[in-house]
Amino acid sequence: MAHIKVVRRSMRPEEWTDLRFGWLKRHIYNEKWEIKNLQIRDARQTDEMKFEYYSADYRPLKQGDMYFTPDGTAFIKADVDIPDNLKGKELWFSLKTAAEICVKVNGKYIGGVDPNRERMLLSPYVNTNETLHFDMMGYNRSKPDDERNPESLSVRGCRQIFEGAYICTVNHAVQRLVYDFELLLDIAKSELFNEDYRAFLNKELNNAMNFINFESDELAGVDEAKKYIEDVIFANDTYKGCGDVALVAHSHLDIAYYWRRIHSVQKNLRTVLIQLRLMDRYPDFKYTHTQPYTYETLEKYYPDVFEELKVKVANGQFEPVGAMYVEPDCNVPNAESLIRQCLYGQKTYERMFGKRVNNAWLPDVFGNSWVLPQILKKSGVEYFVSNKMSTWNDTNRFPHNNFIWRGIDGSEVYACVPPTHFITWNMPSQIQENWEAYIDKDSGGQTLNMFGYGDGGSGCTEEMIEMMNRFDKLAVMPKCTHTGGAEFLEKNLKNNKNLEVWDGELYLEMHRGTFTTKSYIKRANRRLEEKFRMAEMLCVLKNENKTAEITELYKKFLINQFHDILPGSHIHPVYEDAMRDYSEIEQALDKIIGTGTKYFNSLNFKRNALTFVENKNGTATRYGKKGNWIVPDIPALSGKNLRKTAYNGNWFDFDDNNLETEYYKVKFNPDGSMASLYDKELSREWTNGEFNKLKIFVDCPGNYDAWDILPNYREKEIKVKIASPLTLVESDSESLTLGVTLVTEKSTWEMLIRFFRRSRGIEVESNVDWNEKHKLAKVEFNCNVLTRKALCDTSAGFIERETHRNTTWQQARFETCHHKWCDLSESGGGVALINDGKYGVGLLDNSMSLSLLRATERPDVTSDIGKHSFLYMIVPHKNDAVSADINRLALQYNTPLIKADCEWSLPTFEPLYLQAIKKSEDGKMTVIRLCEQDGTRGTIKLPSKVKLLNMLEDIEGETDIIEFKPFEIITIGI
Amino acid sequence: MEKYINEIISPKLQGDGGWIEYVSFENGELTLIFRGECSKCLILHRCIDWIESEIKKNLKKEVKIKAIRKKPYFQDV
Repeated sequence: MAHIKVVRRSMRPEEWTDLRFGWLKRHIYNEKWEIKNLQIRDARQTDEMKFEYYSADYRPLKQGDMYFTPDGTAFIKADVDIPDNLKGKELWFSLKTAAEICVKVNGKYIGGVDPNRERMLLSPYVNTNETLHFDMMGYNRSKPDDERNPESLSVRGCRQIFEGAYICTVNHAVQRLVYDFELLLDIAKSELFNEDYRAFLNKELNNAMNFINFESDELAGVDEAKKYIEDVIFANDTYKGCGDVALVAHSHLDIAYYWRRIHSVQKNLRTVLIQLRLMDRYPDFKYTHTQPYTYETLEKYYPDVFEELKVKVANGQFEPVGAMYVEPDCNVPNAESLIRQCLYGQKTYERMFGKRVNNAWLPDVFGNSWVLPQILKKSGVEYFVSNKMSTWNDTNRFPHNNFIWRGIDGSEVYACVPPTHFITWNMPSQIQENWEAYIDKDSGGQTLNMFGYGDGGSGCTEEMIEMMNRFDKLAVMPKCTHTGGAEFLEKNLKNNKNLEVWDGELYLEMHRGTFTTKSYIKRANRRLEEKFRMAEMLCVLKNENKTAEITELYKKFLINQFHDILPGSHIHPVYEDAMRDYSEIEQALDKIIGTGTKYFNSLNFKRNALTFVENKNGTATRYGKKGNWIVPDIPALSGKNLRKTAYNGNWFDFDDNNLETEYYKVKFNPDGSMASLYDKELSREWTNGEFNKLKIFVDCPGNYDAWDILPNYREKEIKVKIASPLTLVESDSESLTLGVTLVTEKSTWEMLIRFFRRSRGIEVESNVDWNEKHKLAKVEFNCNVLTRKALCDTSAGFIERETHRNTTWQQARFETCHHKWCDLSESGGGVALINDGKYGVGLLDNSMSLSLLRATERPDVTSDIGKHSFLYMIVPHKNDAVSADINRLALQYNTPLIKADCEWSLPTFEPLYLQAIKKSEDGKMTVIRLCEQDGTRGTIKLPSKVKLLNMLEDIEGETDIIEFKPFEIITIGI
Repeated sequence: MEKYINEIISPKLQGDGGWIEYVSFENGELTLIFRGECSKCLILHRCIDWIESEIKKNLKKEVKIKAIRKKPYFQDV
């Protein structure tokens, strides 16, 4: 039964002030003249700038009408003749809406209205003596928990009620007073400020309000109230605050999330347009905007607005920040992808504005790989900004805000993890909160406070700037300085000897599910990263100039690494868009790669690991295709014809779940897990508990469904039954495959386990019909290894992660991101786990649990439902992972052999790994990127001199001896 | 009706993070399951009215929609 608690008491003085404040706001408009001849045409966007319409023509739009449709765009128009009594006055257009509307008048974009602002200035941009042709384009905005402005709740949703559109004049005296009250009431209600000062404010705001006669038609007393506030409240300096806060205007724009990428074109237009108009009114206002990709869409589709933007960039008001092409996920992309984010981002800024930026601006990404500092440093980036570790960590307080971040190779960048969220509305309480949360008060200089609405763009409002212009009047506030992004970073971090160093990855203690959610996207990303490498290499070797085509493909690929696409935290249509993009990119890359007569080893070391080579007459099967397992034995960067080796001996024995091969004696459990894996060669047992054991856990994070895995996810495990027990499925002279089918109530899981005559590797192929909800599938390996650390591949070197749970820092890292492999070893040997597209792994004591599939429901109810096939390979080995060449094995495992007829005439650059070879962006050089991944140091003598380049392909020197250190990425030009 | 719901209406709701599933259509009553953001939408009735009007316009059929909200187990925000 519903129960409403009834409280009977008199109104408190501060509530009386609040009530009158509401009355005061009703008087902001002097005059409101309704536009009554509006017409609307409903549509739905199908592609960038393409729409399908619900009707052939427009229909009238009146107050009280429903407007907007699910995922709808509405085109609204009217020809407006301004009434004589309004002509010559400062005129505003007002439309209260939950949609995102860009407004064009007489062919020129004038501004925008959205849930965060209901009016825009008309006067300076139109001639009120002319008929004004209004053309509006609005996108329905329905993401429910992104609604920052409670006043727009009544009109939000995919079907909204139209409340009318008006031409207005503003009573600036009232508006100024409203801003004063807004500011002071925020302080009065915030416990972050001095209690006595708040009591003083409550008393004096009441006194100020007492000047106003709400019964009088002309609202007498507004000027007196304003004067009282100036003389009594702003003049008070008894209560002194402290702190030094830099206020940086910014709007976060998710390129895709609860909306498709096609919608971000208009979201960006609206955001930019509104900021440009604010700059017109407030010449001191500066705004930072990220993502060169968004600038490209503006340039392409709205060139007039882009030209305005360029003017504001030139005069310093509009500041491009963020070297990366988009704000990518910084866990799953490999090093080369992150380099390309910087390369194409910086090149775009350079082309548009004649300059690069010196910062990476990634406020919302879900943690940052340890490979980043080196990549940033070598891409002209000195400063790194990312917010989430300070505000979203669920276990530990990240110990720095302004600091130096040292990368895996020892490179250092200045870093700022601002103390509070990247979306704020510049209220005193938010600024005070920022200052109080700021850890580096004594060493870091100012603290960074970003303000501006975001996620779907929108940005700053007049109100935020008006607040900011009053902060100096308040002794109780921290000192506030409105500044640009780069200006803040250079002022406070550059050459700051007091900054402390964080040496390690920037792990986010949240969103740990994003390493696994949407398995197909992760797998496609991995596969295409390799195909780009191959395509660029073959273009160089075949002397084909396809740089422009590859750049376009790369950019499309990089967009899909955006931090709500690749991590899987998006609605279903975004997933469909991504898969369509991947398919188009893959087809184009396959065409560029082509084929040949010989198998080509694109790796710069001898390819000696057993490899599956597709052949329709083959005697083995993998991923449903016939072929043969062959040791290619192809020298580095060479081609060769391959033949299946003849072998007629009996190389294995399988009986009653016991298997013996050249390398192992294995005792299986009926479900395909191994009760014992005895290594005949090394005379040791590898299992110590469940090994290759499929486990499916109930995975209900409760809130951030696609994002999070909770630390207690292991508490509830669902039963996995055996539908068909382990049997020998297939064998030939090189491989044998054992198969088992496991089932839950809703899913079927075929596990094919392969052993080889000439490889220590044990490959497991899973073919899954996955129909679960809120489940996490993992495969666990409890190894007979005593160690307190695991090694995890980062794609450009390995990171050591502790496997114990001694402190909260290890406890929080119960699920981490790795790339191609992870490994648990003691000095004599260990077990490596190599994958072909899985990124999440749990490491605890002697166990590794590889995350295979999730089944989340929000934001996409169908996430990961369907058929999946994937591989991992268990590699028990002698010595440690480096000595056992796990890097080389993993690279071979993830680099399919292709046929190509080409010659390599350059050195092989061993022992470095050939990460990429491409034509330089200017077409004048061949660019070669080499990566040290084994943690060693050394030199390579070259036959002739090469250019030393940074990652933006600038020449920085010349050498014929490459000196390298652990985990260094070196770029040379020939 | 099922094809219309799946191919015409459903993609539009998906664009707003919603989800709709056809259950049955009998005697003028169209039963639909609303999931995703639709499952907790405060103004779902407006959307239902719209679907009914779209069906009337495009399929020339008068239908009454019976909406079943299927909320997943996550925090309502």
